Amino acid sequence: MKNFAFLNNKLLKRNAKVSSTFLLLFLLSSCGKPAQDATKSLLENLNKTYPSQSGGTFIDATIGEPSGLIYMVAGESAAGAISSNIFNKLLKYDKNLDLEGELAENWKISADQKTITFKLKPNLKWADGKPLTSADVLWTWQAVIDEKTGSPYASDYQLVKKAETPDALTFSVTYEQAYAPALDSWSGLQILPKHLLVNQDLHTSAFTRKPVGSSYYQLDRWTHGENIKLSRNPRSVLGQAKIDNLVTRIIPDSSAQFLELMADNIDSMGLDPIKYARIIPARPELQQKLALYKELGSGYTYMGFNLKHQPFDDVRVRHAINYAIDKQEIIDGVYLGLGIDIASPYKPGTRWSNPNLKPYPYDPAKAKALLKAAGFVDSNNDGILERDGKPFSFEILTNQNKEREKSAVLIQHRLKDVGIQVNIRAIEWASFISRFIKTGDFEVVVLGWGLGLDPDQYNIWHSSQQAPGQFNFIGYNNPTIDKLLEQGRLELNPDKRMKIYHEFAQTLLEDSPIVYLSAGYGLTAIHKRVKGIDAPAPPAGVGWNSYDWYIPEPLRRNEIAAK
Amino acid sequence: MNKSLLLKTLANPLSKAGFVIIVGVFLLAMLAPIIAPYDPDDINVKAILLTPSFEHWMGTDGLGRDVLSRMLYGGRISLLVGLVAVGISTAIGIILGAIAGYYRGWVDTVIMRLVDVMLSIPSFFLILAVIAFLTPSIINVMIVIGLTSWMGVTRLVRAEFLSLNSREFVQASRTLGAKDARLIFMHLLPNSLTPIIVSSVLGIAGAVLMESGLSFLGLGVQAPQASWGNILTDGKDYIQFAWWLSLFPGLAILITVLGYNLLGEGLRDALDPRSSNAK
Repeated sequence: MKNFAFLNNKLLKRNAKVSSTFLLLFLLSSCGKPAQDATKSLLENLNKTYPSQSGGTFIDATIGEPSGLIYMVAGESAAGAISSNIFNKLLKYDKNLDLEGELAENWKISADQKTITFKLKPNLKWADGKPLTSADVLWTWQAVIDEKTGSPYASDYQLVKKAETPDALTFSVTYEQAYAPALDSWSGLQILPKHLLVNQDLHTSAFTRKPVGSSYYQLDRWTHGENIKLSRNPRSVLGQAKIDNLVTRIIPDSSAQFLELMADNIDSMGLDPIKYARIIPARPELQQKLALYKELGSGYTYMGFNLKHQPFDDVRVRHAINYAIDKQEIIDGVYLGLGIDIASPYKPGTRWSNPNLKPYPYDPAKAKALLKAAGFVDSNNDGILERDGKPFSFEILTNQNKEREKSAVLIQHRLKDVGIQVNIRAIEWASFISRFIKTGDFEVVVLGWGLGLDPDQYNIWHSSQQAPGQFNFIGYNNPTIDKLLEQGRLELNPDKRMKIYHEFAQTLLEDSPIVYLSAGYGLTAIHKRVKGIDAPAPPAGVGWNSYDWYIPEPLRRNEIAAK
Repeated sequence: MNKSLLLKTLANPLSKAGFVIIVGVFLLAMLAPIIAPYDPDDINVKAILLTPSFEHWMGTDGLGRDVLSRMLYGGRISLLVGLVAVGISTAIGIILGAIAGYYRGWVDTVIMRLVDVMLSIPSFFLILAVIAFLTPSIINVMIVIGLTSWMGVTRLVRAEFLSLNSREFVQASRTLGAKDARLIFMHLLPNSLTPIIVSSVLGIAGAVLMESGLSFLGLGVQAPQASWGNILTDGKDYIQFAWWLSLFPGLAILITVLGYNLLGEGLRDALDPRSSNAK
């Protein structure tokens, strides 16, 4: 049924003059009985086991269309999701989150820990057949630190004092001081082809829309506003992926994406808790064809104070608010239990997360006592506390994100109980960042931080990172934290480093510049026609081996329709 | 005049229906604190997205709040926005239209070109642009809708003034030495009221719809305050599952807008001798 519907769409576009009666007839015929039988037999076949085989098309969707496919310039998750299938990095994380070589065969760290020497794998080729050498790596590094490029990721690579290419397979970098997150940073830089980009502006080059890479896939066709189609790169340096084509459809609304998922027109999408825990379980036909994956998400939601504003400069007030918020209520009410509470800015269960730290419990009585100690009393009996005649009221800013808005409403509710008046404003993302975050014009925000795999959070918490556009926009300034962050960057011994970050997390929790709300699970639905997925998901996430996923022939869509 | 106008309007069954709808919606909104079964902001995370039942006639939303109570309180917002916004636009429209229609000349040209400019910008996008610069709040929404929808009234009033100006009773009054103010307020304005009333009532329908649209896009009434538009937004994501979150606010908007339109059409028919029951 779905295949015919696709065909209709194509007809409609190619031949605008097709009469509506004809189309209507066609649509009606496509809903006929044979199509229903096909759906039924597809469902029956879904749970059979199939040998691994190559071919087929995998379709997913993105909310936003990437502005270009050079990730270090675009810096958007939409671009990263696609470009990571086209380009390679020197290093990558394996399924257990240990580093291994991708373009690099091996790497050596010098005795003084300041120089890293990468040895590339031999005979690497770009998709256009030209050799991939250390000159490409050097050129990519030069491009990312170039101020004209304006890459949001430049700071990690600017610490490199000297980069050299002694021969075509060797690339070495020397840092001013030992830099612990260095290896992690080289697992994030997608290497670009020098021969196609030299002397071009990375923002305007045609390459951003017609990239040539070295990884499993290459760009086949980009239909603006509709989809981006990748096809298998026969020269892939990492071997061949199983699935022939990856199509990313641009569907700017998650409700519409979900309708497409239900109609079998896309194979995978990220879910919110309500879809995961309520909608899909209530519909047996969806359960039959969709496999659900739940993994600890790589981020957390928090409420951050503008520490330059009174009364948030008072640690008693921050503690009081922390005690007054019921985090379990947020996890139950907003995430439907699909989240966990955290007490450090690290993924729970990883070595960097300090297991001895416990979140602030919900204790409104203690909150009231602390507020009283800080000078807040309800002197006019209106239910709102005052200090120096001024009522305690503030505004929570958040972006238009359902989970964050709901969390803010629950916070508002709880803070009212202890006598704090809260207003909420949800703002569209771009203006939220440019008008409020970059200018520091806010009192309290509800936002999220993504968690990298390296524990270094210098750019979020260090007092030097407060310029407009930098990440310490809450204005946090704590000499102890600064010192620990500086030590952590220089320490290469993992055990000593762990101690530093455990102490860092403890200091942070005691100082409470933000209130940790919850770390939600990453929830994904993938159509059962896709086989070869690791379940349960390993630490690296469900998509870590997507090159090994396959769609058995009987379960494939009609290829003509999937273009 | 008013009494007979009302009777004449209500003689038409459709406009009677419109009148009953509007009065009913107003009563429900006014009495919200008395008839609402729950506090509209009362969160209950153990009762999220419950289907309609005897306890919750219209079910509960994503935070376990009672949808019926939120609909009643949200109705107050929608109706208030409609009335105030149209009040503002009508006031502006009357002033500008009267000036343009009475004084003619370059003032008229300037005002009418301004009207043309305003009309050439799609009003919804104009409102979106203005709201994006201000803080979204009920008051701002009312003001902005009012300030961007006065053009129709201006044209109407100007046209009425132009035609009335050449009528004998106005000429006579002028010949007898009546001042501008007397002519405008005693003769021209009272005789232009008919189309103004009709266009205001129809304008309220537009404003209610506009507010719902803005709140739906997150630019109108802000959480936790309920409005029909933002209840509808909450429902959008779960439309295949929690139908009650989309159906009830959608119906409320539909019925209210329909009510105002029926009433407006009825008033027009009752007031305008030319468009009587002939059609």
